[in-house]
Amino acid sequence: MDADVDDELQFHLDMRARDYEARGLPSPDAREAAAERFGDVQGIGGALRAHDRRRERERQRKEYMSDLTNDLRYGLRAFGRAPAFTTVALLTIALGIGATTAIFSVVNGVILRPLPYAEPDRIVQVWMDNRRMGLKEDLHSWPNWADLREQNQVFSSMAAYAPGGFNITAGCRETECEPRRVAAAYATADLFEVLRIAPAMGRAFTPQETEPGRDGVVVISQGLWTDFFGADRNIIGRTVRLNGRERTVIGVMPPAVAFPSRDTDVWVPLAFSQEEKQFRSSFGLWAVARLKPGVEFSRAVTDLTTIGRRLEQQYAENRDLGVYLVPLPEQVVGRTVRTSLWVMLAAVGAVLLIACANVANLMLSRAAVREREISVRVALGAARTRLIRQLLTESVLLAVIGAALGVGLAWVGLRVLTGLAPADIPRLDQVRIDLRVLGVALGLAVVTGIAFGLAPALQSSRAAVGNALREGIRGGTSGRRAQRLRRTLVAAQIALVVVLLTGAGLLVRSFVRLQRVDLGFRPDNLLTMRLSLPGAKYGTPESRMGFFDALLDRTRQLPGVQGAAFIEDIFLTATPTSTNFAIDGREMTEEERGIEVPLDAVSSDYFRVMGIPLREGRTFTAADNRTAPPVVIVNENMARRFWPNERAVGKRFKYGSADSQAPFMTIVGVVADMRRTGFDAPVRYETFRPHTQRTVGSLTLVVRAAGDPLRLVPSIRAQLKSIDPDQPVFEVASMDQLLGSMVAQRRFSMALLGTFAALALVLGIIGVYGVTAYLVAQRTREVGVRLALGARPAQVVGMVVRQGMFVAGAGLAVGLAAAAAAGRLMTGLLYGVSPHDAWTLAAVTVVIGVATLAANWLPALRAAHVDPLTALRSE
Amino acid sequence: MRNETGDLLQGTLAILILKALLGGTAHGYGIARWVETTTDDVLRIEEGSLYPALRRLEDNGWVTSEWGLSENNRRARFYTITRAGRTHLRAEASVWFRYAGAVTQVLRSAPSIA
Repeated sequence: MDADVDDELQFHLDMRARDYEARGLPSPDAREAAAERFGDVQGIGGALRAHDRRRERERQRKEYMSDLTNDLRYGLRAFGRAPAFTTVALLTIALGIGATTAIFSVVNGVILRPLPYAEPDRIVQVWMDNRRMGLKEDLHSWPNWADLREQNQVFSSMAAYAPGGFNITAGCRETECEPRRVAAAYATADLFEVLRIAPAMGRAFTPQETEPGRDGVVVISQGLWTDFFGADRNIIGRTVRLNGRERTVIGVMPPAVAFPSRDTDVWVPLAFSQEEKQFRSSFGLWAVARLKPGVEFSRAVTDLTTIGRRLEQQYAENRDLGVYLVPLPEQVVGRTVRTSLWVMLAAVGAVLLIACANVANLMLSRAAVREREISVRVALGAARTRLIRQLLTESVLLAVIGAALGVGLAWVGLRVLTGLAPADIPRLDQVRIDLRVLGVALGLAVVTGIAFGLAPALQSSRAAVGNALREGIRGGTSGRRAQRLRRTLVAAQIALVVVLLTGAGLLVRSFVRLQRVDLGFRPDNLLTMRLSLPGAKYGTPESRMGFFDALLDRTRQLPGVQGAAFIEDIFLTATPTSTNFAIDGREMTEEERGIEVPLDAVSSDYFRVMGIPLREGRTFTAADNRTAPPVVIVNENMARRFWPNERAVGKRFKYGSADSQAPFMTIVGVVADMRRTGFDAPVRYETFRPHTQRTVGSLTLVVRAAGDPLRLVPSIRAQLKSIDPDQPVFEVASMDQLLGSMVAQRRFSMALLGTFAALALVLGIIGVYGVTAYLVAQRTREVGVRLALGARPAQVVGMVVRQGMFVAGAGLAVGLAAAAAAGRLMTGLLYGVSPHDAWTLAAVTVVIGVATLAANWLPALRAAHVDPLTALRSE
Repeated sequence: MRNETGDLLQGTLAILILKALLGGTAHGYGIARWVETTTDDVLRIEEGSLYPALRRLEDNGWVTSEWGLSENNRRARFYTITRAGRTHLRAEASVWFRYAGAVTQVLRSAPSIA
């Protein structure tokens, strides 16, 4: 092209020079004059070349666009001519892309979308690494936190906080409202700096307000402001009553702030007294910090670890206590949720691949039908690349339409999904179909369109070129190469199905194992609810005991109640209030001195109501009162560990270390172990005190009902109201609900993966069936010949099935190997089942065997029963 | 098409080229020579601007080009006027006549300089 410009200009110059020569100028002068007359040869040449290039680009673009519109129009017409194929293909793609899009939006919302704070990945959760108890995420004491805050070089701010709960009573306007329980956080003023959030209205609290006496202020959440205070514009400065204490509202948080937990509604100053700030062995504080600009997370780890080690040497209380840092985003969405979401995404990706393989096979079958049409195009001069492009355009078009349907499916699916999802999957409210999700769906469409379209396009264009040359000769799509392609696709599909089935099977096995765990008590017909008495109103042990005794008495009188009792916390959190202890008359080992037991008060018939068997001794009686000698009941696990070959009953120990002032308590009974930290956590060492000797303000009421426990709730609330109308109850739930929520995440993962595996199995079997049916149909003539030559139908069936099962077997083998590798990624989601669980693998093998056998058998049977004459006459 | 007199020269060049091509297909040098001889060398085409002008005419669809052999058997690019080019030339020519006529009329009016 560029050379053309040179040629044209050179021609002009030469011609002009020739004319000059003809007029008598000598040759060199003639050339010079010609050039002079022309002017800037180089410049004009350059401009022309640029012009030509621009023109060429424009031409190519136009040609491309017109080809594209032609291809699209042609494709749409082709789809219209094959409605059955189009419908099946679209549905398959929509299912695959829809499921993938739905799961990706969950991953996007829960993991990828940043937390609603400025530079959230610069925020770090600071834990105390408790090597004594093997707890990596333990809490700080005030002095410990203060030292870390003082001495570190890496944080721009560091805050301490502790979650809590308040009974909020005053505050509603006009209408009198129910007393309500709200989740709260006590925090130092640094919290707002660390999170970099400013209240939407009013202000945050100042460091001065974290001093006792000056801390009568509260910041409330947007949610509480709207639905408890009716979005009162004059909220700032109003007084509310929290646990009986008056506080002034100074600020309202912006929406979406969910710290420390999603339901936190009030933030109050953490106001420790000077005395409390000295307790180095009272651990109850959480800590978060923000990295200084430019400081790497790893440097913070090094710095804090060094400080931790120094503190360990400095203070006896800090022995075996280190520092452990976790970036906040990782902390908020824990490892288990992350793992299960990635597993789900992988699973749904496998479903998509299976769907792709199905569509690819459909396209191959269709290509055979379209062979003539394509041959005609080749004969009319279409180049092979042009043909491939047209076929690919068609498949991408198909995929994009399918993806649009899929996004619709995903939208519906997400509603169902978030409705069914357990409440403890964090940030589920962030899940929606946003631009990023749509982008991924579109990307998936293009990639899948090429994925399922490329092989068939290459195949049929090759075939077509061949056919155009040798018309009438059968070859190509139905030929050997195409058959191999189909069989490979089928084997790959089966392999993927095997992986998914294995994953789902392992989760089901884990879940069944979990359900069979002996909880150590009778969970049926139990009702639980939490109460927390405000210290301002119930300051003395007597007043608290009076309240609880009255509540128990009245509850027991209610019809349908078989028993009522209470315990401080029916289920233990990962870090319950706990203490070490010293056994009377025994030198305890270093390791034993580090062991802590949770502090627990129970009412006298707690064990009977819960159905926890007594192994030894007795339970508490009315005689174990405030003035009687201190008594304690331990669980079997503890008795076995500390008094292995003797009776624990009658032995004495006290809380704290050997030199503590706490009184020795006599063990009066040993009860069976109960799973109190969840199904899958080991049983701890536990001690129980009579509530008469350890009176607490917060506890769980447990009621054994004759029938449905939830039906007792209104009458128990009524009793409560008659004792104290300002006292709310919260976390009202049946034991079934509590246990259900403990396994909700597992149940959800299992249901989801199960659904995908089922979907994969159905798609995979359709794939196997479709391919066998097609291949058999291609061989109708051959079968006819065999039958005519005297083959028995059973032999024909055997031949077809044998070939199909060979493919299935190859897929199964590859799938089992892949499943073994994939299983290792799932280890964190399993309970009591090895990722290579033989039963699961055997079950999957049987399912795949039976399903593929059926999918091969049916087409084979049909083939064997063709009439040989018809078969021979076909084609 | 042409609304400013600043375009006059370029427009004039287009008219000359199109007119040259009315006589039949020609290469760039041929066009230049035809203009020279027809106007007795009064209107000398600026040769440098001839080729860019031809590209523009081609972009507008008024001429087409094709490679061929010249009278002395050399590879040369030949230009042909299109139907649209003829229409355009007609329109331009009438504008030109009116313009030239008007100027002539002004110059001939009394007091005459001639």
